[in-house]
Amino acid sequence: MPRLNLYQEEYYPSPIQNTWKEFKENHAALLSLYCVIFFIFLMIFGPFLAPYDPLQQNIDLLLVPPAWDNNGDISYLFGTDGLGRDMLSRIIYGCRMTFGISLVLVIISMLVGVALGAMAGMSKGLRSSVVNHLLDSIMAIPTLLIAIIIIAIVGTGLVNSMWAISLALIPQFIHQTRDIVRQKMKKEYVLAAQLDGAGKIHIFFNSILPNMAEMLVVQVTLALSVAILDISALGFLNLGAQAPSPELGALLSEGLTTAYVAPWNIALPGAAIFFMMMSINLVGDGLRSALRYRLLR
Amino acid sequence: MLKIILRHASLLILTLFVLSFFSFSLAYLFPGDPLVNLTGIRGSSEQEYALLAEQYAMHSSFIVQYWQYVMHLFSGNWGLSFSSGLPLAEEISRSLAASVELSAYALIFSFLIGLPLGFLSGLRHHKFTDFTLLTASVIGYSIPVFWAALIAILIFSIQLGWFPLSGRISLLYDVPFETGFILIDILLSDLPDKEFAFQDALRHLVLPSVSIAIVTCTIVLRITRRSIVEVMSSEYIQAAYARGLSPRQVFLRHGVKNALIPILPLLVMQFTTLLTNAMIVETIFSWPGIGNGLIQAIYQRDFPAIRAGMLAVSALVLTFTITIDMVIQIFDPAGRRPENATS
Amino acid sequence: MLVSQQHASCFIPVTVILTVMLTLMGCSPENTHYQQPNGIIYCSEGNPASFNPQLDTSGTTVDVSSHQIYDRLLDFDLITGEIIPGLASSWITSTDGLTYTFQLRKNIVFHSTSYFAPTRTFDADDVIFSFNRWRDKNHPYHEVSGGRYPYINSVGLGDLISDIKRINRYRVEITLVRPESSFLANLATDFSIILSAEYADQLAKADTPELIDTHPIGTGPFKFNSFRQDRYVRFDAHPLYWRERSTTEQLIFDITPSSSLRLAKLMTGECDSMAFPTHSQLDIIRKRKELTLDEKPGLNVGFWAFNTAKAPFDNPEVRRALAMAIDKNALMEAIYFGSAIPATSIIPPSSWAFQPDTRSSTYNPLGAAKLLRENGVEEGFSMTIWAMPVERAYNPNAMKMAELMQRYLRDVGIDANIVSYEWSTFRARLNQGLHDSVLIGWSADNGDPDNFFRPLLTCSAIDSGTNRARWCSKEYDKLIDQALTYTNQEDRAYFYSKAIEMINDEMPLMPIAHAFRYQAYRDNLTGIEINPYGGIQFRNVSKP
Repeated sequence: MPRLNLYQEEYYPSPIQNTWKEFKENHAALLSLYCVIFFIFLMIFGPFLAPYDPLQQNIDLLLVPPAWDNNGDISYLFGTDGLGRDMLSRIIYGCRMTFGISLVLVIISMLVGVALGAMAGMSKGLRSSVVNHLLDSIMAIPTLLIAIIIIAIVGTGLVNSMWAISLALIPQFIHQTRDIVRQKMKKEYVLAAQLDGAGKIHIFFNSILPNMAEMLVVQVTLALSVAILDISALGFLNLGAQAPSPELGALLSEGLTTAYVAPWNIALPGAAIFFMMMSINLVGDGLRSALRYRLLR
Repeated sequence: MLKIILRHASLLILTLFVLSFFSFSLAYLFPGDPLVNLTGIRGSSEQEYALLAEQYAMHSSFIVQYWQYVMHLFSGNWGLSFSSGLPLAEEISRSLAASVELSAYALIFSFLIGLPLGFLSGLRHHKFTDFTLLTASVIGYSIPVFWAALIAILIFSIQLGWFPLSGRISLLYDVPFETGFILIDILLSDLPDKEFAFQDALRHLVLPSVSIAIVTCTIVLRITRRSIVEVMSSEYIQAAYARGLSPRQVFLRHGVKNALIPILPLLVMQFTTLLTNAMIVETIFSWPGIGNGLIQAIYQRDFPAIRAGMLAVSALVLTFTITIDMVIQIFDPAGRRPENATS
Repeated sequence: MLVSQQHASCFIPVTVILTVMLTLMGCSPENTHYQQPNGIIYCSEGNPASFNPQLDTSGTTVDVSSHQIYDRLLDFDLITGEIIPGLASSWITSTDGLTYTFQLRKNIVFHSTSYFAPTRTFDADDVIFSFNRWRDKNHPYHEVSGGRYPYINSVGLGDLISDIKRINRYRVEITLVRPESSFLANLATDFSIILSAEYADQLAKADTPELIDTHPIGTGPFKFNSFRQDRYVRFDAHPLYWRERSTTEQLIFDITPSSSLRLAKLMTGECDSMAFPTHSQLDIIRKRKELTLDEKPGLNVGFWAFNTAKAPFDNPEVRRALAMAIDKNALMEAIYFGSAIPATSIIPPSSWAFQPDTRSSTYNPLGAAKLLRENGVEEGFSMTIWAMPVERAYNPNAMKMAELMQRYLRDVGIDANIVSYEWSTFRARLNQGLHDSVLIGWSADNGDPDNFFRPLLTCSAIDSGTNRARWCSKEYDKLIDQALTYTNQEDRAYFYSKAIEMINDEMPLMPIAHAFRYQAYRDNLTGIEINPYGGIQFRNVSKP
């Protein structure tokens, strides 16, 4: 006899599914998520999408306006710059560089920062408050300042600026991780695991890390937007990526020389940075709100 | 309270020592002769070199050299710049004053705009005004500060011609240096056409401070909004309503104070972000501040200037942060401040 | 309930702020001209290396000092190019061309500043001091500030003058070793300035002689006030100037290395005139109503010089091959935007020594590659191109030109690296001969062709630093010297044509272009003229 199922099985969504449901309600955040995915797509497939070589100079076609202008040309959608290089390709490669480099930097800083923070959080009592306060003081200094100082010492260049920014981002991760780990260490399930005989590493990876994951994601989006801003700021100041690299900040700085004849050389790369940052910020905001409200609805 | 002051003072002194030690070791880390990097004097004769080596104790151990260096710093001898040959102490104090002035005005501006808008947004929580202001704040927060400055120049300076785009004041006014803060210096000086000079300096201030202030404005807005939202949903506010106070009275008597006090430290901390943004924007507006100076020094590989500039900026930022921290702890020992979050 | 009353209390602060902002912004938006003190701001492109043009040939130093602080014995008329009296009111040449007697003007007053007050007017002692400083190696001031007088040495003035005699307080007699037709022209250049002997004495007594070049005193229309490195140079008007001048009270050189920033400042009115508009900016300046652009054909040449002292650039075939690898016409469009003509030799067409049918290098990358391989320059050979960081009329964007040339050289298998430094560092290192090749040029100081041939490629010009190719050929020197012994233009032109042929055969440098000279300034400025023979003059410039 078929059993009548009068009640559907109760369905308890997992925390991640809750967060996602909440996130979806926020239209702006969802849209920005699609934008971020678009940028990631650009990052991976950029070289196939770009119509021209970003370093290819074309003497006959200097400072062509974008396609929507009267003097523009559809084959150069965003126009060309002062050396005849296609702006669309440069911006695509630039997004690729800026976004990709920032992603790599954030991942590196996250790995290092979380490792150090976990170690600091799990070891008990011996850490003197001096080191903690020192760390707090360093955290108060904006990352760009730390990066500029590091560059002042090691010299300019793209690789140096990458080191500088990733070093500057690490303290944030250490601090967050240490605080959270400290908190979680006091929880009962950690105590239970310890009583079971679990070693420190096991506790960290199995008990603490999964509970930290969401905080970490929020932290990563924050760090990502900071990293993008810093990389492009350093590129703009010619302390990071150098010409003729198509990094977005370097594009802006090159566009300065022809700013009055060709304002699109400034407007377009800057707009690209702006959209990148806005989408990441909105995703981060959405995540934070979702995390805060997921259990309230 | 004494304990708090002592703890922070000792932290400050420790950090400053670490910084100065770091800046001293830079003389060795930079390429070239360490003594030349320390003093900034190049091409000196044998005797002059020997004399300098004496003064800086180059033949003794590292620690003694470091101590000599610190003594020199205190006595005001920060070395000479490679590119201009002028004493760094004076140059740095002038540029630092210029940057601090710019950041200070930007901070005031962002408070003037951000605070009221934050109140408005918090009181209209999750209503239309709130959403528009939030959207505006996200946009403002995402604009890269250097792009904002460039667009501002393109529109307001070149296109419309309302504001100048370089320097602190027209070069035709020769304002003597007193405090380093140009508005005060103009008032203190005895120039024949003071009001025009003052007006000129104000016009030069507008674009840089507004471009920096945009980002900070949005942060202030968001912090204030969050604080107001939390306060207005707390119990004593409900109690006030229950007692029969009108919304306006509730807001003015209880809301403002209790919302502002916990976030005041957070707001003041924005000064450091402002200072960093100011340093970037200075290069665009040719503002003679420490950021411009440090970046020019990096381009020209002017090691003494890099060393001194770096020391000055980090010392300023750290002193400011630790002092504010101390003041907070003195006035709010319960440590009610919220997490360092931006929303 | 919450909505209505909160409205008022929140909008009050907002309106207050808005009104404060509007008042701060000044009056109406159209108010771009507000009261300004009497003065002219000129946007210059770099720091002067010194305030004495005798010590330096850089256009930046000359622009700041030569016609502002100082005067010369003779001057060039800006329109006709003829030599007119300056501090010397008249002169007589002896029939054998060896002796020149100058009658000096009376009652010319030197500058009075915070560091010097003159007690006497200009006289022969000042002339003798100014000349003997560089002429006499044992003069107490000879080694002050370096002891190098590049322009004067490159034209050999020191060896040319055998004696200077003081006839009386206002009469000086100069005797030459041999007759030289370009002597008077050399006295009218930017570099033959007259210093104050009284000031020199005062400084020598105080044991601070180098101040003569850093805190200068002259007879010119503006006196030095102050100099802040990388920021500005301030001048005040010299009230007792002997010639007529405008009513400007202050002159300020606003040092702005970035040319787009200079243009921006010109457009907003923060500068009244700017140095070296780049060619891409010319159209913008022409279109704007409040700006004026003057243009005059220039006596200049931009070139690519090879360091002939270094292998493999000491081989003329290698040099010719490198010249064949570059497409000059492409450079014309990309760098000069049509405001220059391709150069076939170092002499521009506006000079009487120009030879219209000179054959110069043509673009032939295959031939170039072949010639290079034959001479032992293999694929992947790496060389440096030094590109100057400043704009000059003869090369408005050396960095961009170097980037374009990189591509051409890559096509013939050469890997070129671009090297550049801040301008004074750049020139100092060039003088040490550290370069493989350099993109630089030359602007004439007078209308005489000797002013091209001598400073650029003669042996003595290597030491003075103007011979960037470090080329020394006795036959060439002989041709140039011979040309000076004749006073007839046709005779001289013969020798110069032989010199041009030799340059094209040996190719110590590849001439690229001769450019127009431009002056950009705001409409309300009057009295500004392009000086084809040298530095800018602000004597007659004024703003209403």
